[in-house]
Amino acid sequence: MLVATEIHRHFEGLHAVDGVSIEVPAGQITGLIGPNGAGKSTFLAVLAGTLPATSGSITFDGRGITRLPAYARARLGLVRTFQLPSEFAQLTVLENLLVAAPNNRGDSLFGALRGKGYWIKDERRLVEQARALLKRFGMSAKESDYAGTMSGGQKRLIEIMRALMLGPRVLLLDEPMSGVHPKIIEEIQRYLQDLRKEGLTILMVEHELHMVERLCDSVVVMAQGKVIGSGTMASLRRQPEIVDAYLVG
Amino acid sequence: MNTFYAANLLIYAGIDIIACLALNLQFGVSGIVNFSFIVFQSVGAYTAAVLSMPPDTANFGFQHYIGGYELPFPIPWIGAVVAGGLLAVPVGLVVLRKLRSDYQAIALLVLSVIANTVITNADKFLGGAGGISLVPSPVGDRITPRTEPYEYFYIGITAVCVAVAFLVVNRVVNSPYGRSLRAMREREIAAAAIGKNPVQLKMTIFIVGGMIAGLSGAILVGYINVWGPTVWLYPETIILFAAIIVGGRGNNIGAILGALLVPVGFEEVTRLINSNGTLANFGPPGLLSALQWVAIGLLILGFLWFRPQGVRPEPRRVFEGGPE
Amino acid sequence: MNLFIAAFGFGLVSMSVIAIAAVGFTMQFGITNMINLAYGGVMISSAYVAYYLNKAGVSVWIGMAAGALFGSVFSFLLNRFIYAPFMRKGTAHLGMVIVSLAVSLMIANLLLPIVGYYPVSYQEDTGGLIHLGPIALTRDQFIVIGVAIVLMLAIHALLTYTRLGKAMRATAANPTLARNCGIPTNRVIDAVWLITGALCGMAGVVAALNAGTFVIDNGAAFLITILAAAVLGGAGQPYGAMIGAVIIGLMTELSAAAWSPQYKEVVAFGVLVLVMVLRPQGLLAKRGALAAAG
Repeated sequence: MLVATEIHRHFEGLHAVDGVSIEVPAGQITGLIGPNGAGKSTFLAVLAGTLPATSGSITFDGRGITRLPAYARARLGLVRTFQLPSEFAQLTVLENLLVAAPNNRGDSLFGALRGKGYWIKDERRLVEQARALLKRFGMSAKESDYAGTMSGGQKRLIEIMRALMLGPRVLLLDEPMSGVHPKIIEEIQRYLQDLRKEGLTILMVEHELHMVERLCDSVVVMAQGKVIGSGTMASLRRQPEIVDAYLVG
Repeated sequence: MNTFYAANLLIYAGIDIIACLALNLQFGVSGIVNFSFIVFQSVGAYTAAVLSMPPDTANFGFQHYIGGYELPFPIPWIGAVVAGGLLAVPVGLVVLRKLRSDYQAIALLVLSVIANTVITNADKFLGGAGGISLVPSPVGDRITPRTEPYEYFYIGITAVCVAVAFLVVNRVVNSPYGRSLRAMREREIAAAAIGKNPVQLKMTIFIVGGMIAGLSGAILVGYINVWGPTVWLYPETIILFAAIIVGGRGNNIGAILGALLVPVGFEEVTRLINSNGTLANFGPPGLLSALQWVAIGLLILGFLWFRPQGVRPEPRRVFEGGPE
Repeated sequence: MNLFIAAFGFGLVSMSVIAIAAVGFTMQFGITNMINLAYGGVMISSAYVAYYLNKAGVSVWIGMAAGALFGSVFSFLLNRFIYAPFMRKGTAHLGMVIVSLAVSLMIANLLLPIVGYYPVSYQEDTGGLIHLGPIALTRDQFIVIGVAIVLMLAIHALLTYTRLGKAMRATAANPTLARNCGIPTNRVIDAVWLITGALCGMAGVVAALNAGTFVIDNGAAFLITILAAAVLGGAGQPYGAMIGAVIIGLMTELSAAAWSPQYKEVVAFGVLVLVMVLRPQGLLAKRGALAAAG
């Protein structure tokens, strides 16, 4: 589904990503693990288009997207979340979700100029969709609060929900569970697994190895900008170099 | 209070409101720090002027400018709107693409200074340093300018323009499109990650804002019948920024409020001082005008420190049918 | 041909003046992340300080030292009481630009009632023309070039050999890391404002001296040239600013000889635009215009 070939990312003399090639299979949850500074988040950013690759190529569902800017990739269905909180602070929680939804007739200059009557139906439909998501993740009460006032875990949730509003085909998640309440984590996991059954592809950077074990069909291990192993968690545990480099327990 | 004073007040208020609505759209809602805003108002004024004036050989040819097509109202004003939008294209393409926002701001500020320098020195283009005068009043051949009926007429067309500008800006800001703009303002990278094209959004708003700014210039030049580089120095943009910061960013009511408090207030105080003999001669020449500018600076700093959201903050959007 | 040789000579003086100013400006940006639009205002204020001393009979060169001292203290206070508090409050880059713009407006207008509209100049014997090969400049102009060279060497020495200089470079590269390594970043920043403020003040006097007559508006106009040099060389890079100053100094003088002296700033602006379109990070790229943090 998502294929990265020999991705390099150099910046100011630092080789954050040093020749990474991976294939993210469709309809599966793939984990991306590795020690701090391995280049995981940078690699994710390159996949998403937030950072340009210094060299290498990326294809998405057979289509080359290496030169495509981030917003275009998002519109194709390749959506990312961020490691640091990236909510829209001065928009309400509900607005954070609404703004991500495509297919809103009011989301263009001429659509807006035609007045409320033109887009209110789309808007109402999307509000319902967003509210359903909020309810599922237990944030209904906060819908009219400014996203900037939410806690770290709540901001994390908002980002995930925001990504889901786009109807993505591939989700690139950067430590989605960090700081989130354990009950909600379960809910997120369940939701992701449901989506996986419906065909969603996920690449997830995570530190919590138990979660990775539970959720991910396969795992890629990075260290110092390179891939040092891939496969199931079980098979990786049997490789001493990997265990030495990273896995503890 | 006589009609002319009231008319002057209302018309200037209308012009300032239109300008502030446009700047708020660019800066308050979309986060584009357009320090060259005054250039767009000015291009509208110059365009309306050269479209409505006779060829520059008229009046003994004492001034030189391009154009001179003697077109009747409202064509010059439409031309002004178009000019404002057209200018936004090359400027936007150069400045709004790859640069981070404070560089963009600097580039636009420098543009404002340079544009003024160039027009001042290019004598034959738009009147040079002396500017252009004897700009005809719109419909001046049917209603005699400088009479009460004309003042009422001009208040009327200004009001219509304010209404149109408000309608446009209001529809843009209070729509899903406006929401996308605000998201881009808040965090551009995250906005791109959810499918918003920041360059396209910024260019669009730059053009729309430029068009509205051009309109405000046309209204102004039609009223004061003169225009020149000293009218549109870069600090004029700063007054409008002060207005947005004071009135309240990101919302149209705040922009209107700011327009009434700052530029109108500034102009009224200037008028008051100049009409009062003792005040006008207080201190060395230009002292009071300079102090007014200091006050503007203090106003900006004060509000940015104590109340950055402005007198009327951006309203929180609440949707009906939500939880209690 | 002679015209161009003469222009080249003027270019040498020009680049000297610009270099002193641009290095200070770019260091302020590089180390404190502050685009100080009030820089021009401080420059012209320092020029006026030297002017009043000069009127009282003091030589221009002592006036230059006084200007440097004034610029140093003024810039330090500016940061201590306005810029730093706003930054601590969490004001974004953009907000700080607006703050510095407001400050520059206030400086210009507080100065105006004191110094008035009319152009003034320093009273002193510029000495005759000294010929160095095909180039003919006054003694003062040669001194200006000399001062610039000395200052550039001093800055180089500061940054390379002194502890303070190294602390400055560390703070510029990564302030949080620098602080965590025990560098007293607040004191480093104070030192930066004192030193660059001195450069600013000196540049103001030297620019005024070179211009012959000066008036308050010169501050804003000169700022554009400084911006162009700083951005061309790579924002925050002192050596880049020196290179930028050389290029801009030459270009503006040569273009003034080829076309018209009135358009000097326009040339600088043109360079600025070209740089921003083609290579926003400037010549000596590092952190700069493309940084994602807006």
